[in-house]
Amino acid sequence: MRISINWLKEFIDISLSNEEISNKLTMLGLEAEEVYDTSSLSDIIIGEIKNVIKHPNADKLNLCKVYDGQKILPVVCGAPNVEVGQKIAFAPVGSILPGNFKINEAKIRGEISQGMICSEKEVSISDEHDGIMVLDVNASPGETFINYLNNYLGAIELDITPNRPDCFSHLGVARDLAAKLNVDIHTPSYDKRSFSKNIAKNMIDISFENPDDCPRYIAGIVKNVKVGPSPDWLKLKLESTGQRSINNVVDISNLVLLEMGQPSHIFDFDKLDSKKILIRRANKNEKIETVDEESRVLSATDLLITNGKKPIAIAGIMGGLSTSVYNKSSTLLIECAYFNAPVIRKSAKNLGISTEASKRFERGADPNGTEKAMWRIIQLLEEVTDGEWIPGIVDTYPKKIKQVSIQLSRLKLDILSGCKIPDKAVEESLTNLGCTIKKTSGEWLCKTPSWRPDLQREVDLIEEVVRIYGYDNIPSSFNYEGIMNDNITDPHKSLSKIINILTGFGFNQIFTNSLQSSRKVSALDFKSVKMINPLSDKMSEMRTSLFQGLLDTANFNLKNGNPDTMFFEWGNVFEQKSKGLTGIEEKFQLAGVANGIYMKSSIHSNDIKYASFHLIKGIVAGLLKRLRIKNVTYNAIVNNNIGLDYAHTICVDTNIIGYIGELSSKFNNILNLDIGKSYGFQFDLLQLMKLADTKSKYKSVVVYPSMIRDLNFVLDESVAVGRIIETINKNGKGILIESEPVSIFRDSSIGEKNKAVAINLKFQSSKKTLEDKDVNPVIDEIIRVISKKYSAKLR
Amino acid sequence: MKLKESIESVRNQFRADSDPFPNDEASLDSLRIKYIGRKGLVANLFSGMKDVLPDDRPLAGQLLNELKVEINSEFDKKSKISKDDISNESTDTSLPGINIPIGHVHPLQQTLDDIKSIFLDVGFSIAYGPEIDDDFHNFGALNFPPEHPARDMQDTFFIDPETVLRTHTSNVQIHLMEDQNPPLRYIVPGRVYRNEAISFKSYCLFNQVEGIYVDKKVSFSDLKSILEYFVKKMFGENTKMRFRPSFFPFTEPSAELDIWSDKRKEWLEILGCGMVDPEVFNNVNLDSNIWHGYAFGMGVERICMLKYEIDDIRLFYQGDMRFLEQF
Repeated sequence: MRISINWLKEFIDISLSNEEISNKLTMLGLEAEEVYDTSSLSDIIIGEIKNVIKHPNADKLNLCKVYDGQKILPVVCGAPNVEVGQKIAFAPVGSILPGNFKINEAKIRGEISQGMICSEKEVSISDEHDGIMVLDVNASPGETFINYLNNYLGAIELDITPNRPDCFSHLGVARDLAAKLNVDIHTPSYDKRSFSKNIAKNMIDISFENPDDCPRYIAGIVKNVKVGPSPDWLKLKLESTGQRSINNVVDISNLVLLEMGQPSHIFDFDKLDSKKILIRRANKNEKIETVDEESRVLSATDLLITNGKKPIAIAGIMGGLSTSVYNKSSTLLIECAYFNAPVIRKSAKNLGISTEASKRFERGADPNGTEKAMWRIIQLLEEVTDGEWIPGIVDTYPKKIKQVSIQLSRLKLDILSGCKIPDKAVEESLTNLGCTIKKTSGEWLCKTPSWRPDLQREVDLIEEVVRIYGYDNIPSSFNYEGIMNDNITDPHKSLSKIINILTGFGFNQIFTNSLQSSRKVSALDFKSVKMINPLSDKMSEMRTSLFQGLLDTANFNLKNGNPDTMFFEWGNVFEQKSKGLTGIEEKFQLAGVANGIYMKSSIHSNDIKYASFHLIKGIVAGLLKRLRIKNVTYNAIVNNNIGLDYAHTICVDTNIIGYIGELSSKFNNILNLDIGKSYGFQFDLLQLMKLADTKSKYKSVVVYPSMIRDLNFVLDESVAVGRIIETINKNGKGILIESEPVSIFRDSSIGEKNKAVAINLKFQSSKKTLEDKDVNPVIDEIIRVISKKYSAKLR
Repeated sequence: MKLKESIESVRNQFRADSDPFPNDEASLDSLRIKYIGRKGLVANLFSGMKDVLPDDRPLAGQLLNELKVEINSEFDKKSKISKDDISNESTDTSLPGINIPIGHVHPLQQTLDDIKSIFLDVGFSIAYGPEIDDDFHNFGALNFPPEHPARDMQDTFFIDPETVLRTHTSNVQIHLMEDQNPPLRYIVPGRVYRNEAISFKSYCLFNQVEGIYVDKKVSFSDLKSILEYFVKKMFGENTKMRFRPSFFPFTEPSAELDIWSDKRKEWLEILGCGMVDPEVFNNVNLDSNIWHGYAFGMGVERICMLKYEIDDIRLFYQGDMRFLEQF
């Protein structure tokens, strides 16, 4: 909503600068921004054209004499609209215009020019550049242009919150400002006219299908109207709020809208085709052509103004074309109505139209504003269009809107504000806002004004009091009374530890979009959660895995010069397990992907380490070790829907908490990847965090020396070394503390399809120094079991 | 296998003797003679081979060789380095260090961690809630009537007409108040979604941190103090700020908190807040005559952008290494 400062000043006497007004409104909750940026206009002054003659050497140029308040200067000007007597924006020699454009003295086709007469574009008011900007005749030469701008065109743009329909008007904004400044407000004259005979009543009959939809409808008639251009004052007033003038009749309706917030509609009475107004819901598929020349198909959601048969307007939203005012209109029917807010809201939403009228009605208009607006419009039509009022108005108010009375208790006010706002401040703010108050002991009884539909409860009044008193004037104080005793202050506590460990291993943390294309999601066989109104096809479903985002990111970096990357992300993935919201599962996961080179060769070493299955396995093992998670095993699985080849589960005891493997090649096609093989892990993050939070106690350090033995087995190539290690560990009899494969040897000397695996065994006891007699039987048993189970031979 | 034990014992003995490795020529020579001299311990072990059973010989030989290689290589390595240290010929200390792979913590994570720790310090707990929720928890219970223009303040993604991607973390306020009795004091971080065109200043999702405190005596004054404390911790002790009246359906009075940017010479909005609306208490069956509360919500991206002067919100979700490695 654009508010003209001059217009505002018609209602309140204030001497604040535009900036101060803007700040005051912002601190009232009407977020304000000045419309014109005057920061680079300080050099421009007001000039007056004293003389204009044709340039002797150029057809399109004029030689002007410009009075700058002190002297008369020669200026060459090319604008077609320059005339003697005009007040103009003048940029003297030496001044700098927006865009850092400096004005110098110049000789143009032999004639000296000392300055420039500006267009609206040159002073950043608009894009208008066809002619010079002509100022108000009362502007005084020599005065700064900024001053002029503030005085004549000063405006602020307000961001009005949905609870304040009253502030979609100059009067409403003035009322808030007056309350804040504790000054009087001059309301414009809405003289109620007296009449001896209600002639209007005989000319039009108003009826309702359901008064709940339209609690009040007022009609008035003005005849002999001359439709034409608006007078300058009316045009300027509308233009100062950013509106274009259309004709005097439409402009009057708009003026009243902007002045007091009451939307009205003016019909051509002669085109009405009947003497009836019937307000009813539309029939299914009923049609109307609206003033914007669009044909609209309606439904029972829409409320209509009809002439008894055909629709002539969509109530509260837009008028129909067939009864609209045109340049030959003479008798006008004025409608000022109060429509039910939710009805207009639904209708506007249903039709996808938002108009100045609907914006106000759907938030809640003023049921009593209707009558005031009617008298105001009649008065203006008489003044501006030479119209003649037909005595009487038809005010149908079948569903009277009662003004609300609310008790405001001092106790509640003190509790909520946290301080003691003086009685006087409470009463002044409420009275200034239009409430009628009655004080009793410890409370006030407040009757709220009809233009404030948002004031319904005690807390609404408290907000008003605190708002006008000023949030800045409320002191801050710590005051905690309750004892909070949550066992777990942050369920994600160990997540930061996990993040630190992974970044320590070289992984980079990323966050990716949870909204993905159905193609991306289709890489895995989950039933996904789909949006019914997606932003685009590329973001129509919720991700079912973190891998797509991780791979996309790796690929993006490959294309941008970083081919070797390691990324991880934590977050939710979603699955539609069964119908409805209860069938949606949000799974909290952690996943990582590595590809390319893990460690480059350098001047220190020619060694290159590539991302690999075993790199991921090592990182996962390191992560789990740092988190003190024990009893971890990895088991190969064949069919999976994780997106991994060579997939292995990560098991702790018997629980699967995650997976490792090589990223499935089907991602490459679906995501159009150029990266080579990638390897990744995925964790059920809730389980991982829970395990990480499990506190395991310290074990005392063993002081007895350990004993190292090596075993070298010849095995069939098909036997997995991991299984051998597992078997050895199972047979350690409590003294084997570590077994590690150290080499694999293949040679024809040990037989084709065989391998020799050397395994390093470490024995230690917490009770004594081990001797051969303790270790040898264990070793013998291990050899026996391995030899038997895997047909192995000692080498 | 006796020899094997002897080998281990010589190895352990050598490891003990060579730690620290001698750095004067005399001790170095005596160490060398003791182990790999012609009559040294290793030679001695080799001569013991003849007593080993023929079947065990290959392994014994292999182990003995490994020991010899190990000891020799220690001498080679250590004597070379000590020589270099003296001559300083080939250790160019100006070379870069060995490249250790390092990862980076995402700036949003860092900002979120900062926010969390500020509130944990003053007695808030942390709760989380669903990203997909029903209309009641995201709107209805928070006092957004159906079709109310307030709903247009938050463009919403729908799964079905009754199910939405949450537009704010305020849905968790409702879950918390449904699930437990006050007093309660939580912050709630999480992803929220808005159906808005993507640009440098808006993305289809962002991270929000909600705060809620419900108790018998909670005032606007308390709200001001906690948020002033937060702003000072987050942006510095001398940060200029203001509370500006605003509107949210689920708080009344409502405010927006702005901080002043000296650089941009303007007020920047950083969070919305207010006193829990009595209607919200009614919707979760709490008596609004007894319970009062405040709530606030902030965007993690917004705060992170202000803190690091990041000018494009999309950077957070692109995973560009050139961006990430700056944090």
